[in-house]
Amino acid sequence: MALVATPGEKKLNPAKKLYRSIFNQETRRKTIWLLFLFPALAVYLVFMAAPLIDSLRLSLYTGVGLTPTKFVGLQNFIDLFTNPLWRGLFFGAVLHTCEFFAIHMTVQNTLGLLFAALLVSSFRGRDTFRAIIFAPATFSVLVVGFLWTLILNPSWGAVDIILNKIGLSSWALPWLGDARVALPVISLTSAWQWVGMPTMMFLAGLVGVPEELVEAARVDGASEWTAFWKIKFPLLMPVVGIVAVITFVDNFNAFDVIFAMAGVRGTPNYSTDLLATLFYRVGIAGEQPSGLPNMGIGAAIATMIFLILMIGVSLWLFVFRRQTPSQV
Amino acid sequence: MKTMRVLMLVLLAVVMAACSATPTVAPATNPPAPITSAPAATTAPATAAPATSAPTVAVPTASLVLGSWRVDDADAWAKILAEFTKQYPTITVTFDPTNPTDYNATLQTQLTTGTGPDLFFVRSFDVGRGLYTGKYVASVKDLPGLNTAFDAATLQPWSDVATGTPFAVPIAAVSNGIFYNQDIFTAQGIALPKTWEDLMAAAKKLKTAGITPFANGLKDEWDINEVVWMGLVPSVIGGLDGRNAYLNGDRCFNDPTMVSSFQEIADLQPYLPNGFAAIGVNDAENLFFQGKAAMMFDGSWSTKIYEQANLPFKWSVFQIPGPAGKDLYETFMIDSAIGMNAATKNPEAAKIFLEWLETKDFNDTFANNVPGFFPMSKTPTTISDPIAALFLTFNSNAKGTDIRFTWDKIQTGPTGSQGAYNLALAGEDAILKGQMTPQQAADNLQSGLAQWYAPAKTCKK
Repeated sequence: MALVATPGEKKLNPAKKLYRSIFNQETRRKTIWLLFLFPALAVYLVFMAAPLIDSLRLSLYTGVGLTPTKFVGLQNFIDLFTNPLWRGLFFGAVLHTCEFFAIHMTVQNTLGLLFAALLVSSFRGRDTFRAIIFAPATFSVLVVGFLWTLILNPSWGAVDIILNKIGLSSWALPWLGDARVALPVISLTSAWQWVGMPTMMFLAGLVGVPEELVEAARVDGASEWTAFWKIKFPLLMPVVGIVAVITFVDNFNAFDVIFAMAGVRGTPNYSTDLLATLFYRVGIAGEQPSGLPNMGIGAAIATMIFLILMIGVSLWLFVFRRQTPSQV
Repeated sequence: MKTMRVLMLVLLAVVMAACSATPTVAPATNPPAPITSAPAATTAPATAAPATSAPTVAVPTASLVLGSWRVDDADAWAKILAEFTKQYPTITVTFDPTNPTDYNATLQTQLTTGTGPDLFFVRSFDVGRGLYTGKYVASVKDLPGLNTAFDAATLQPWSDVATGTPFAVPIAAVSNGIFYNQDIFTAQGIALPKTWEDLMAAAKKLKTAGITPFANGLKDEWDINEVVWMGLVPSVIGGLDGRNAYLNGDRCFNDPTMVSSFQEIADLQPYLPNGFAAIGVNDAENLFFQGKAAMMFDGSWSTKIYEQANLPFKWSVFQIPGPAGKDLYETFMIDSAIGMNAATKNPEAAKIFLEWLETKDFNDTFANNVPGFFPMSKTPTTISDPIAALFLTFNSNAKGTDIRFTWDKIQTGPTGSQGAYNLALAGEDAILKGQMTPQQAADNLQSGLAQWYAPAKTCKK
């Protein structure tokens, strides 16, 4: 582009000339996307990235009150991992979160895949079933948790009444009060609520499978089962990956369903204590009934959650990007 | 197209204006439905009001906010604060409660960010003292009439340890007891138990007759800990002197006396409802209300709930009995005090309110609007609620009263899980589920405390 005003153009002042020389049309075309991205990036930085980084910074400090001021380096992390007062709580929480995730993932995603496979073919009442399966995901978590607490109540809850009536009284446990089953029960409740999400995603993925591939397989003599596992499922892998990572992130952050069904103290006997509830108890609310929050250790726990999530998601990216480079 | 562009610009401007107008102040200070007391009355001030200290300075006009964890008492407090405004028509006080489990954290946040209420309920001991050392709550040392209204022992939980400066005016204590279904007792021919052994015999009789003796469950952990165990412990260990012996290291926390207190929990196990591990306080109260359980360990704070339930049977309360041969002690827990925000914009008005808390006027209004909470001042109180009055007789009936066992010094510890509160709770939980013996529960308490509480490390066996 000419640097000198050609005859017919308006005369440019030196500042405008300089600007035009640096930001010529070529550069502007290449970088205009930054301008479009800027508002969202600003919001993200201010409201999500900055607090996250500040939280990571806070884990290096200790002290009373909302913003600890005494720098102690990695002492909080050392305490979490080695101090017997903290170690039991922390590793217990990690273990319970893994257990919660394992049950949730298995039940939710297996059922999701099953329902999606069933809902692909058109049959009478299919739309109703689709609505019924997806409906719980639209309910408030607190409402679902509370209603299930009532259903599981040993005195008048439906579950125990039915078990007693059909003669399985030995199975009529106090579900949320028994340390062995409380966490699996809560995990199953959460899986029940959210089964609609993977169902919908798998359904969308299955519908996207080209019909010709399946027809070709059938012509070659493949059964329905083989057709599903050898053709449809591999093409579904990207969706499986996405569902897996979403479940992973949601479960390691899980707090609301535990809060609704068992409270933040990890009743009974810390068996339902997840990382998020431990963080809440230590870093925000303080130990009931009259404790003060310890923001340094709380931030350290939050940092650990962040690191675990980052490792998990990075693994997913590594595995799935390598598998289907063209589709992700 | 031009009109479209203009319209879009206008819309954008409106949206920007709306977005920037949203307040950035913490939501806690703008409650959705504030309970305001009666607006400043310009008509006749309080007529037959008993002696209130006449303010020596002109009464300022102010609008104060009172923060609290008593969400259940919002209506009652509206009436109490209306009574205050009758006395001082130019000062209105708004009650702004937060859920009890979130109260400490919410208050801490509000005070640190400068949006705290002018007055607020202060937790006893360490939590309140922490607010004082953090300079969030103001000293009330020079409040007129404080030392005539309260003795040093009452002020101690709300006084700074180093300087002895009080920072809150105590307003209420609560009492423990056992609510019972009088009709069932009469039908089964059971007399009021005078000793723990009598109580167990009565429970056995009820169970044989097919009635659940006790309604309490484990799901709301504070119930078994604060209401049951800490209710029966003082009579077992010998009240305040006994507790001091443990706190000083003169006794270990797993000596035979402590073990016997856990044994009493084990005694209760067969008499709790089916599936008690998953029954919370509300479920338990429901069992009692439906007449399915004959007794419930509960406290004076629940009086209103029982009265408002309009129960179809006769019911009353009796004192938690102690073991035969030991003196009876009552758990009378100092519960709440009100302090003044050190950074309040209306210190004179706030001080006037705090002074009013010492008067008989407040005592009567408070005790009668929130039955079951007892004013702690030496100023006499007239209690009109019969059940609340009955609770008060437990104090005079006993050799002495004491606060809940774990509350002072050993409550939380560095991580909470090793505090006496949670250690005792873990023991009770395990005993009732058959996973620990009372001796093991006491050992658990001792070893956990010994990790960080010096007198427990060097206790005399």
